[in-house]
Amino acid sequence: MELICLGLNHETAPVEVREHFAVPADKLGDRAKELLELSSVSEGVVLSTCNRMEIYVAAENRQAGEEVLRSYLATGRDVQEMKHLYAKTGDEVKRHLFRLVSGLDSMVLGETEIFGQVKQAYKQALESGATSGVLNRLFQKSFSVGKKIRTNTRIQVGTTSVGSAAVDLAEKIFGKLKGSHVMIIGAGEMSRQVAQSMMSRGASHLTVTNRSFERAQDLASELGGNAVPFDAWEESLVQADIIVSSTGASEPVLLAVHVEAVRRKRRYRPLFLIDIAMPRDIEKTVGDIEEAYLYDLDKLQKLANEARVSRAEQVRICEEMIDLEI
Amino acid sequence: MCMRCGAMDRWMLFLALVLAAVAAVQGAGYLRLGTRSKWTLPLMIGSFIAQMFVLGARGDMRGACPLLDTGEILVFSAWALTIFYMGVGSMFRLSLLGVFTSPLVAFLLALALVPGLMDTEPVRATSVDPWREMHAALSVMAYGALGLAAVAGVMFIVLNRKLKDADTSTGLFKNLPPARELSGIVVRLLLIGYALLTGGLVCGVLMEGAMSAANHLIAALIIWAAYGILLLVDWRRGMPPGKLSLAALVLFVLSLLVFPMIS
Repeated sequence: MELICLGLNHETAPVEVREHFAVPADKLGDRAKELLELSSVSEGVVLSTCNRMEIYVAAENRQAGEEVLRSYLATGRDVQEMKHLYAKTGDEVKRHLFRLVSGLDSMVLGETEIFGQVKQAYKQALESGATSGVLNRLFQKSFSVGKKIRTNTRIQVGTTSVGSAAVDLAEKIFGKLKGSHVMIIGAGEMSRQVAQSMMSRGASHLTVTNRSFERAQDLASELGGNAVPFDAWEESLVQADIIVSSTGASEPVLLAVHVEAVRRKRRYRPLFLIDIAMPRDIEKTVGDIEEAYLYDLDKLQKLANEARVSRAEQVRICEEMIDLEI
Repeated sequence: MCMRCGAMDRWMLFLALVLAAVAAVQGAGYLRLGTRSKWTLPLMIGSFIAQMFVLGARGDMRGACPLLDTGEILVFSAWALTIFYMGVGSMFRLSLLGVFTSPLVAFLLALALVPGLMDTEPVRATSVDPWREMHAALSVMAYGALGLAAVAGVMFIVLNRKLKDADTSTGLFKNLPPARELSGIVVRLLLIGYALLTGGLVCGVLMEGAMSAANHLIAALIIWAAYGILLLVDWRRGMPPGKLSLAALVLFVLSLLVFPMIS
């Protein structure tokens, strides 16, 4: 019996194509059962998530099985769309499935949701009678590999983008961000993203200031905060817990004297400052103030790179573990 | 006097020391690997039970609260530190506190084992002054809370340094609790310790022969006033958490100087 996998994912196909191949979550079992009607196919599992659609089959003949699957998928789809499909056979299928359940093939490396999605796809196929010895063994084995990898490696730990590194640091300083006050100086795209991440993790107050007040108002209303004029932002320093600065100014905007002036009013609460402007917006000596934690783009990038290196090492360990399981 | 207790209390003290030392070494080893040891709490519970046995045996021999020589005070302090760790650690989910507390507990227990610090044949008390007993017990409990505040202060100082230097890749950084939680715990433990210390001092003034221990009481009053000023300043105008943590550590180390004055 030959193993075949035919599918597409976020790396091989744009969303417009992926949605054309998508299968409703409650129809995975029915579609798997349909596969058994194809000649040469003995068992089948259909997986469909927002990032991928894949069909796993056990067929009597590798070539015939792949051809029959391609023509099955081609029904109602044009030739261009079919070009986005990839095909894997034999041990490649095992390796692919093991990587998949371990989160190594996901858009967010190491994410855990895919494990449950594969489990659900297999369960529906099993209940509809579309699987038997070969695919049962393959999927059961993949779940044990997935569990083993998550238990023995740190693949899901660490952040790999500047924005997520900033949010993780904020949580290391403040714990839960609930009740925290975020202040944005300069309504650029990157500060919008960082502020959005902070708000999604529970920060409850947002102040936006920008040279163009209109732009500050737009961003404030988009993220559910307040806009303040650029010549009045210093008054908001007393309330702020997290400051994200990304103006296009050629000289520092936030100086040590600004923070020194409000330290007592702030009762020396921790202040996390994220400077993602180039040239920098926040005077370097602000970082010397005891309760101020200043991170510029270089520092954040360094953290993200360290996480990436650590992840790469974890991926290597995962791949070795998968090799041993095949 | 219970002769078996006399030999047993030394062995149990040694066992308590070994368990705390193993918790310290093992916890630090796991931390270097970036994970937390599941054994820190069980080992510290084991050490706590052994400490209880030592104190129970000494109390039995004394016929009074076992706080009559330096060795007993050291064991009682380790016991108070451990009980606060178990309470605070589980209440605030600060499992890492054990890794920082266990070396201090081991140090106090090791000191208690130094020959001459714990009477091998303790004199049985002929009379019991309840004020003296309360003074000793409350003061040592205060030391437990204030000691743990110093431990949490050290944790904050370490985390603060790492945050300032952007040194975030170590296992220690990843396992330390958030800075704001740590500084909050330092304040709460200081408040608990200060309340107990106040009670201990009041009992000390009321105990028989208080005037004969004037030096000890004066030193204790200075320590009490210093902690009071620290808390007052923090309450009235706030303090940078780093300075507060450092003050908690320095005051605790200074307060240990009161021990040699106990006659």
